[in-house]
Amino acid sequence: MHNADIPPDVLRQREAKWLDMLNSWDKWMAKKHKKVKLRCQKGIPPSLRGRAWLYLSGGKVKKEQNQGKFQELDSQPGDPKWLDVIEKDLHRQFPFHEMFVARGGHGQQDLFRVLKAYTLHRPEEGYCQAQAPIAAVLLMHMPAEDAFWGLVQICEKYLPGYYSAGLEAIQLDGEILFALLKRVSPVAHRHLKKYKIDPILYMTEWFMCAFSRTLPWVSVLRMWDMFFCEGVKIIFRVGLVLLKCMLGSQEKLKACQGQYETMELLRSIEPRYMQEAFLVQEVSQHTLYTVQYVVSSSKHSLCLPLLVTFGKCMP
Amino acid sequence: MQNNRKEHLYKILVIGDLGVGKTSIIKRYVHQTYSTNYRATIGVDFALKVLNWDSETVRLQLWDIAGQERFGNMTRVYYREAMGAFIVFDVTRPTTFEAVSKWKEDLDSKLTLSNGQSIATVLLANKCDQKRDFLTNNSLKMDQYCKENGFVGWFETSARENININEAANFLVKHIIASENDILKSVVPDTISPQLNSDKEMTCSYWLSLD
Repeated sequence: MHNADIPPDVLRQREAKWLDMLNSWDKWMAKKHKKVKLRCQKGIPPSLRGRAWLYLSGGKVKKEQNQGKFQELDSQPGDPKWLDVIEKDLHRQFPFHEMFVARGGHGQQDLFRVLKAYTLHRPEEGYCQAQAPIAAVLLMHMPAEDAFWGLVQICEKYLPGYYSAGLEAIQLDGEILFALLKRVSPVAHRHLKKYKIDPILYMTEWFMCAFSRTLPWVSVLRMWDMFFCEGVKIIFRVGLVLLKCMLGSQEKLKACQGQYETMELLRSIEPRYMQEAFLVQEVSQHTLYTVQYVVSSSKHSLCLPLLVTFGKCMP
Repeated sequence: MQNNRKEHLYKILVIGDLGVGKTSIIKRYVHQTYSTNYRATIGVDFALKVLNWDSETVRLQLWDIAGQERFGNMTRVYYREAMGAFIVFDVTRPTTFEAVSKWKEDLDSKLTLSNGQSIATVLLANKCDQKRDFLTNNSLKMDQYCKENGFVGWFETSARENININEAANFLVKHIIASENDILKSVVPDTISPQLNSDKEMTCSYWLSLD
């Protein structure tokens, strides 16, 4: 259903290309990374998506380096403090997906195992509610052990600190997003500033769940294909595209004069801006922005240069 | 929209531990629906309810705030400019009641009205259609608890069975309007309003109306 628009012979060709890549992965990553990136932008064939994500994320390597680790964590009881919270969330992830629809069904059981294993793997981090949709999307594509290592990679390599106590990393990225928006769409930036709309009011779920609960499903998969290849900048770019499309012209802003009205608008993004072909196009077109962002906190100030490439073409 | 109707706009927070039914209460109140399939709230969610209040219009912005403690760092931003709040707990889980005072303290420490008072807050004992075995059986004790902890009142609610949700909301709106009038009064110089204890009297009368 996800590739209804791709002719079967093209799909078969792509599968062959991806199989070839997966079979000599290290070589491809070392020597032809651009090609890998391009193929991720075109979309990973559904039949190989789970495997490709695990390879791209480095989860496969981690799994091999830590053989038996998941089984070991899986066999431990876990801290009741976290288990209690995780259990409350099991039926609240993609509740209409066939895999998670049945209470206590296989999907929910695996979700429990993966999330519990993570709290044992990083007891100081524990469990954050936003990890559940991430783990659920992974589980739709791979077995529990692989999903666990995929989750580890997302939490530690792709979005470090997003789920940690205090949630400082997500708030920092919110401010960076806002600083980037000033360059990408001054109109949208001014509007959000005028109504004192703090980034965490609209980007928390977007970023913490890597858009898995925001975009139509086909687009989620395409964005994740690119995200696993290129990292967090894909998340930034999607966020910037959506903000620019929704708030980027005076005409659009007429209808949302106010904080609440604006947040309502950002919660009901027009489908055409979330459509996969449009998003892939916008997100993969390159204009280079460098934003030097200075963050001062009570203890110290960090200087974070962030390189974000961003689509130029806009409606 | 009708001509000359006075409009009030209030931001109302719905807070409390995770899984107590905040989202369900809001969906029931705003959309008259109930489902067991709501997703966990990540960050914050919103809904709007419009009420006809005598000859006026009241618009309630309901802010549905993630219950996990981890999001506590963000509540300062979520609370900003709220006029009222529901703190929700689940009558079947005592720990969620124990967390109520934490939520109240968090709220009061981060948000006060322009007169320095804390915002009107109503306690909701949710899932009252289910088996419960503590405290809320004893309504005198609950009244006492509310007084001691600065709640303007409490209601047993059920989003599933649609019990008391409209009542609780109306009650909160009444309080918000009253506290708005209070603020207006406090702007007027002292000499004109000699009743120093008006605040307390106000609170008492509402307590009576609870029963």
